[in-house]
Amino acid sequence: MLKSANTVSKSKFWFLAGFVIFVHLVLAYRFFQLQVLDHNEYSRRAENNRIRATSIPAPRGLILDRNGEIIVDNYPTYIVSAIGAEIVDKEKNYKVISVATGIDTAILKQNYKNYYRNRFLPTRLAKDLTIGQLSRLEEAKDELTGIVYSQFPERIFNSKIRASHVLGYLKEIDQGMMVDMDEQSDYQYGDLVGWSGLERQYESQLRGEKGVAYYQVDAFGREAGAVEGHENILPNPGNDIHTTLDVSLQTLLENEFNDKKGTAIVSNPRTGGILAYVSAPDYKPDLFTGMISSKDWKTVIADSNRPLLNRVTNGTYPPGSIYKMVVGVELLEKQLVTTDWSVFCTGEYEFYDRTFRCWNENGHGKINLEQAIVQSCDVYFYQAIQNVDINDLAIRSKQFLHGLITAIDLPTEMKGRVPDRQFMNKLHGRYGWSKGAMLNLSIGQGEILVTPLQMVAYTNLLATRGKTYPLHLVQSQNEMIDAPAIRSRTWNRIQDYMELTITQSNGTGRWSNPKIPGLRIGGKTGTAENPHGEPHAWFIAYGEKDDEMITITILIENGGSGGEVAAPIAKRVFQHYYGPKTTKLVSK
Amino acid sequence: MIAEFWYKIKNSPLSLLLVVGLLLSIGLVTLYSIAQVQAQTPPNAFSKQMIFLIPATILMIFMTLVSKGLVHKYIYLGYGFIVLAVFIPFFGEKVAGTYRWINLGLPFGLQPSEIAKWVIVITLARYLSDHNLQMNNFASNLVPFAIAILPTFIVLNQPDLGTAFVMMTPVIPMLFWVGARPYHLFLIVAPLFSILAASNEFTFTIWATILAIVIYMAKPQLWNGVGIYFGNIFLGLIFPLMWNALRPFQQKRVLTLINPDLDPLGAGYQIIQSKTALGSGGLFGKGWGQGTQTHLKFLPVQESDFIVSVIGEEFGFVMLFIMLVLFSWFIVKIIKLGLNASDRFSGLILIGISTIFMAHIFVNCAMTAGMIPVKGLPLPFVSYGGSFLLSSFMMIGLVLNFGREELD
Repeated sequence: MLKSANTVSKSKFWFLAGFVIFVHLVLAYRFFQLQVLDHNEYSRRAENNRIRATSIPAPRGLILDRNGEIIVDNYPTYIVSAIGAEIVDKEKNYKVISVATGIDTAILKQNYKNYYRNRFLPTRLAKDLTIGQLSRLEEAKDELTGIVYSQFPERIFNSKIRASHVLGYLKEIDQGMMVDMDEQSDYQYGDLVGWSGLERQYESQLRGEKGVAYYQVDAFGREAGAVEGHENILPNPGNDIHTTLDVSLQTLLENEFNDKKGTAIVSNPRTGGILAYVSAPDYKPDLFTGMISSKDWKTVIADSNRPLLNRVTNGTYPPGSIYKMVVGVELLEKQLVTTDWSVFCTGEYEFYDRTFRCWNENGHGKINLEQAIVQSCDVYFYQAIQNVDINDLAIRSKQFLHGLITAIDLPTEMKGRVPDRQFMNKLHGRYGWSKGAMLNLSIGQGEILVTPLQMVAYTNLLATRGKTYPLHLVQSQNEMIDAPAIRSRTWNRIQDYMELTITQSNGTGRWSNPKIPGLRIGGKTGTAENPHGEPHAWFIAYGEKDDEMITITILIENGGSGGEVAAPIAKRVFQHYYGPKTTKLVSK
Repeated sequence: MIAEFWYKIKNSPLSLLLVVGLLLSIGLVTLYSIAQVQAQTPPNAFSKQMIFLIPATILMIFMTLVSKGLVHKYIYLGYGFIVLAVFIPFFGEKVAGTYRWINLGLPFGLQPSEIAKWVIVITLARYLSDHNLQMNNFASNLVPFAIAILPTFIVLNQPDLGTAFVMMTPVIPMLFWVGARPYHLFLIVAPLFSILAASNEFTFTIWATILAIVIYMAKPQLWNGVGIYFGNIFLGLIFPLMWNALRPFQQKRVLTLINPDLDPLGAGYQIIQSKTALGSGGLFGKGWGQGTQTHLKFLPVQESDFIVSVIGEEFGFVMLFIMLVLFSWFIVKIIKLGLNASDRFSGLILIGISTIFMAHIFVNCAMTAGMIPVKGLPLPFVSYGGSFLLSSFMMIGLVLNFGREELD
């Protein structure tokens, strides 16, 4: 096995051993040199000449509305912090600070405990100090040890609006988050980072670059002036972002939703820009400014109305009758019905052993496709859908962005659900579902789920006959989205039906009409049954006057009838936007 | 069987374990101080290191008891595996900018390059003991170098400069041990010096002179000597081009060694702070838990790569000197075991492993003391680090096994 003999001369051993000892002696001498010969020099450096490099936060970019009105701004606040390793007598320091600022020592003590990370990092004792408090602290400087103060730009919000789900909030980076950060980035513990909404989406633009300030610090942790040869590096402020939002319209809609749950979005279908974006209930945007207290946090989390849920992008709902245009387009495009073909609605429809009801118990009488959309007759669709294949309907729905993400510039978005054959087989088993499911689907009930944002995209497609742009909140140049291949005659008919829905005396959308001369409105109501109580009220509409177009998408959770509850809100939006008293808000 | 194991353990050079225990204690006391002063609650480096000692000890005992014959028989296979293993991290996610770790879904990553260090040593030992090489012939040195270079090259690309260095170094003393001509070994490392010396004219002139003298004294054939000489000079001259091919962080590390002020908040900052911590510690140190410098300045990786700064500041030169005495005794002892080993395979393994430990000690201490660039190599038994602790204990197990006096 290990046969070859270990014939090595002793001199080789001595050579290697000598080398090892030599290397260790070199290292030992080096340590001796540093620790004994140069000890005084390094001691002096250690005691008197400690350089503290602190980062200077960069002011974040502002968030502006379409007219340049500031929505999110910064204001300078002053923070007093303590460095645990350098503070000599905590109680005494707290007392001095308390006398100078009028802040109770108990609060200082509590903050120190809450924000403590380690004894060598500044721990915040108090924030939002005024210049007056600060100057009194400065006077008492000689009595303080290990106390530092710094300026910190904090977010401040436009008082007229909340828009908290759009704007999002900032969060202090903790250890858990640090792991996910790119190693190259210069984020540090305690830095604020955009955590949701636009603040997160546009973090890299808003953030700017931190600066560095160098201080000499003496043995007691007191700043002893600037460091020679180390120029401070000034921070680079972040870039402003210009949103498509309109503060006045946002204000109007937020007020409408003060006592309601749901969403309202106004957009310009000719650009894809969002003018107003409400997800109610929401929270005050400054809830998360600085550090949220655990008490506030628990209140928000425990709220059964879920104010933290961004219903526009992440709430999914059955679309109800506003889905009927998808079915209508499919019927017309595939020529499954003629415009004259009609059904007699008695208020209910027998399908094998099941009875499907129309929302109008008295029945609509003889009704064709036009009137089935205008009066939102369900029985017509129960009958007509029986010629439609579920997969064809799914393809058609996706043409109108149901079940797809809209790619709006927000961090998260749900896809919703558009059922096809495969999906239904998986959910119910191959023989577990029948045409009856299609009857439900024809009026936007059953397995289909959409987000309000998808309905905005859908409305924009209907408003522009497919020639619209991706939805967005920050002004940008975009390519037009691929227009669905739908014949021009079909578009004409569907738009005619939607406009009759508003103008016809018994059209379900008549309550949305502000009757402004020259304003052309098309829309559709929806009243979506759901397992959580009262039906959800939907209303989608577009309005055009003098070549200026907006679309409105409204959802009121458990609001009841779309025509009665949601449509009147749209009326007030149209009035505000096109009415005589307001100035023109959209330049083009 | 138990009796046989007991016999094996009893005849192992156990005095080494005493030294290992002392070095471990120095490390643990320091880790405990860091955890206390920075108010880190477990799991912190101290508690994790304690936990890692359990599998480390089990692996050490295993390595002590495993049959030498089996090690000899399967090491080429093991070498094949380890070459693959250092490749695997490239298919995983980048961790901290490098492909060093394999993620098996465990709460910690595995670093195959740690194991590769001593697998290469055993592979070389088998190659050099199986074949009766004519060491006077320069070509005999090439295969052993190739064995080490293959995994080293992969590790260099992870990138992990420090580990790559440790993987290459054992080749030289091992070849020396089996009788390679020092002149040949000099020729093999000469190109590296040619490159390093090219950074300025003065060092390059000195190097060119040394090169000429050594080649003259070795009396090679004329054209051979002239070729080697000018080949090296040429390499030095094209070095600026190769410098540009380095990664920016590697350039930065070398440059900040020459002038730490170039990067006061990065690598240079670490060196300045490390030296200040050491220097202010003085002869006897500031006392346990009192090392304000190391703690205060947020010295990165003070638990692992820069632990010597903490030891030096809190316990002073005396403790560092004791530590170096322990290390030098430890390494000389392993080399001595290598001299006394009954067969060449065992002897070579011991020489190789001693070199690995030596390389770690030199690089770590020299880096902490600001003598060489920051290279991120831990100090054996003292620094915090799971993979390296396991690997070190496995190497100790190998030393105990192959350094055992065989009576048969």
